[in-house]
Amino acid sequence: MIGRVGSAALALALLVVPARAAGPFDIPLFATPRAPAARGSATLVFAESPFGVAVTADGHARYDVRITAANLPAPSSLGAYHAYIAWAVTSDLAHWQRLGTVTNGTSTVGHIELDKFLLVIAAEADSASTTHSGPSVLHGNSPSSWLQTFLAHSAFFHGVTD
Amino acid sequence: MSRGVGMAALLVAAMAAASSAQQHDTTTMPPGMPMPGMPGMAAGGMAMPIPMPKGMVMMPGLVGLTPPGGSFLPGAGVDPASLPNVRPSAVVQMRDGDTLDLSATLVRRTIAGRPYVMYGFNGEVPGPLIRVPQNATITVRFHNRIDLPSSVHWHGVRLDNRFDGAVGITQQAVAPGDSFVYHVHFPDAGVYWYHPHVREDVEQALGLFGNMIVDSPDSAYYSPANREQVLVFDDLLVNADSLIPYGKTGPDFALMGRVGNLLLVNGEPRYTLAAHRGEVVRFFLTNAASSRTYNISFGGAPMKVLASDVSRFEHEERVPSVVLAPAERYIVEARFEKPGRYALVNAVQAINHYRGEFDAEVDTLGMVTVDSTPAAPDYAGAFAALRDNAAVTRDIDRYRPYFDKPPDKRLTLTVRGNGLPVATVQFMNVDTAYYAPVEWVDGMPDMNWLSTNDQVKWILRDDATGKENMDIDWHVKEGSIVKLELYNDPKSFHPMQHPIHLHGQRMLVVSRNGVRTTNLVWKDTVLIPVGSTVDVLIDASNPGAWMLHCHIAEHLASGMMTVLHVDPAAGPGR
Ligand SMILES: [Cu+2]
Repeated sequence: MIGRVGSAALALALLVVPARAAGPFDIPLFATPRAPAARGSATLVFAESPFGVAVTADGHARYDVRITAANLPAPSSLGAYHAYIAWAVTSDLAHWQRLGTVTNGTSTVGHIELDKFLLVIAAEADSASTTHSGPSVLHGNSPSSWLQTFLAHSAFFHGVTD
Repeated sequence: MSRGVGMAALLVAAMAAASSAQQHDTTTMPPGMPMPGMPGMAAGGMAMPIPMPKGMVMMPGLVGLTPPGGSFLPGAGVDPASLPNVRPSAVVQMRDGDTLDLSATLVRRTIAGRPYVMYGFNGEVPGPLIRVPQNATITVRFHNRIDLPSSVHWHGVRLDNRFDGAVGITQQAVAPGDSFVYHVHFPDAGVYWYHPHVREDVEQALGLFGNMIVDSPDSAYYSPANREQVLVFDDLLVNADSLIPYGKTGPDFALMGRVGNLLLVNGEPRYTLAAHRGEVVRFFLTNAASSRTYNISFGGAPMKVLASDVSRFEHEERVPSVVLAPAERYIVEARFEKPGRYALVNAVQAINHYRGEFDAEVDTLGMVTVDSTPAAPDYAGAFAALRDNAAVTRDIDRYRPYFDKPPDKRLTLTVRGNGLPVATVQFMNVDTAYYAPVEWVDGMPDMNWLSTNDQVKWILRDDATGKENMDIDWHVKEGSIVKLELYNDPKSFHPMQHPIHLHGQRMLVVSRNGVRTTNLVWKDTVLIPVGSTVDVLIDASNPGAWMLHCHIAEHLASGMMTVLHVDPAAGPGR
């Protein structure tokens, strides 16, 4: 089943998927059971700005996302789907922002104006879909998800009231 | 699982803190504001002077510690009542050949109802606004009447190297009571600023800064505005009783730089402006803070950015806000279309290191009140248009063939620690799994306070030789165009953004993280976010020994500087 194509793809995947977030811009992507051979990674690239860093008036970072994917099966192999779309999803899963279409190879999509988010690549019925409904094949978390939560260590940080 | 080990170590560190070798020195620390819920407060009787962010307490492993080396406040023992009240900045219009006497003195400042002994130039904060025509040369007789050695650096000005004010490179420090004469030539139009180049963490922070505006002979140099406003941003760190004292032998707050909790515009906690409906206001913005990067906007009023440090942009651009790193300047215009109130705010996403979340933080720095009288003249049309500055593009065209050349020099920005409290080191080990490209606020002021320039070494490392900071011996020929790649290493134990300043030259940011810049502007200070690679093209046209350094005052004092020698094209003796 894995065969020659599979192992070549695996070798490619090893090249593109970092072991963990290597920096504040890197997002390793993980395959879901719907497409277990899929591999990918993403890099946040600051949107164009005349300033040293691109942010909104509220101070949210403004990023484009460079997604490198391999082994994405044909969307139609998963059902009545015709394209893969990247979505930026708030951590409460309430808001799915369409970023753009993704194919095997490198795709640049954007903008993201969220500081903490999930990145989900899903098969969708239409490459122009603006609402999410299809199965996800790759997903990852923004690098900021590595932020440690010390609230869990109440014995240590006693007195925190907020 | 390594996190588990880290947390265990943290707990051990916390328990060991009670027997720490660093004793609290009650003779140099002011009585602090009691922190609700602060561990050890009653038992040790120790007053913690560092204000913590809302809802946070000092890390148990740090309670009882003070920065090694002791601390001081300038003007100690001076009765504020004996000092003159500070005055606001006055405009000094100067012509070619004119002379100005500029004295650094002690002043009394009352901020939010509290009196402080601080510094000022000619009794003013900000110092006098020096307004000169482009290509003028003025003489400034600087008199040091404060209690520390000092100097004046003319930030961004491509002047004669001898008058750069860089202590240890171009001159000796001016001792208290002494004077130094500067001849300052202004080849470029725009907004610049002056400040001491000694213990900036103290002298600049206490009020020694001022602007120069260099006027182009072209009356239509900027798109038209109804009025001009010069805004200098800085911040002070205070508790309920006093300023937080400064490190005696060198800066404390060496990790992040001192980030104040009292945000000031032109030295005051609240800026106000009254304007008419539809007015276009041209703002000259300067960040004089030691460490804070701002994100400035005017209550949703539309803005366009015209210029930055050393030139106009190639193209005017609509912007939602202005990101202003230490020492950077931007010239923007805002139009206040409707009557009402427009809040001048600094709006950022702060990291709450305890909850691992981003929190919106909005500091209201001032208010623009717009009445219903229509602006005259009405510049709505000119404001709506985005000008192309063809002269800037033509000037830059000569440098375009060099944009894609491989870097001539590469610097890695990093840091080493030595002798920091165990609790700090362990926290960093756990917390640096993620670092934001820009840290807008100081989320951990306790750790930051307890770090000095003896314990923290900020580093510019030459990739080619491995040499660091002042051991780097870079020489380039006058007239050369030098591509410098700056990489801010995210894997150090405490990565942070750095505003890198090159004295006496101008430079272009040609790419960020491999993405070509499309709207160019000449800069003297460039923000390098964590994990970023920024390629700059230096127009090395001004001979001399020029400092290249981080403009976070505490990083500079912790080693983050080198010198770029621009050797005269005609050889020595030119
Ligand atoms: Cu720095």
